[in-house]
Amino acid sequence: MSADQIDFIVNDCLLAAGQGIGTEKAVDFAALAWWRDRYRRFFLHAITVLGNSYEADRPRVTAVGRYLGQRALFHAASSPSIDLRAAELASRDVETGCRMNAVREGLSPDMPAAIA
Amino acid sequence: MNTDMTRSDIRPIAPGFDTTIDGGSDQTLAFERAVDAIVDDCCLAVGQGVGLRAALDFDAVCHIRRNFRPKFLAAMRQFGNRWLEDRQTVTAVAMMLGERAVRYAGGAATISLEDIRRASADVERYCQLHAARRARGREHDTTEGATARIAGYWCTWEPKE
Repeated sequence: MSADQIDFIVNDCLLAAGQGIGTEKAVDFAALAWWRDRYRRFFLHAITVLGNSYEADRPRVTAVGRYLGQRALFHAASSPSIDLRAAELASRDVETGCRMNAVREGLSPDMPAAIA
Repeated sequence: MNTDMTRSDIRPIAPGFDTTIDGGSDQTLAFERAVDAIVDDCCLAVGQGVGLRAALDFDAVCHIRRNFRPKFLAAMRQFGNRWLEDRQTVTAVAMMLGERAVRYAGGAATISLEDIRRASADVERYCQLHAARRARGREHDTTEGATARIAGYWCTWEPKE
């Protein structure tokens, strides 16, 4: 797995998050930077531990990405843009669901949520 | 959009994202790090433009990175890292790319590589016209006008081999 391949996966997931957000609100750069840093680390960990199954997992992972965007939009509420706080709250929502899914599928609950 | 962010706000959040032009290999390394965050930012904006109307083929997403990363890097080498100044303009164009891709997909459930290629060509033409128009009016540029002019170069500055 090259760094480039991880970058393509992060691009794909952030694009999916953008789909969930739509054009109603802008995203602060700080929120974007926090998401990319967080999920790049998670994806790298997942691929290192479990191998690269992104092709098979892509429909599910990008669906979660779109949900992340929708939750961020929800948490931004009346704010003019999606800020760091809204991004963090959205990630908490999504990762809780991913952890539950990981436990249900027999993966360790201690693993980063992105594995789910 | 929050435009109150200062450079010192950014640095701890995005390691390697440095907007200064220091020169030399440190600068090259800083640009290499920053460009990945910029491509991510644009991908998110493309997704915003597409919305939930269609999915994207993975090779279409990969094309965005392969096509624009070298251009962004070349633009930064020429003008320095002006992303925080130009971001609002460039992400608006990225949303337009998403919108054009949906149009080229013509109601299909998935946006293909060819759709993204055609949409990319459209926005690059738009940016070239935008940059040329601003360059013609350079002598009358306000600071805001200069920002918009240079923003047009983000996707039109061809990398030198």
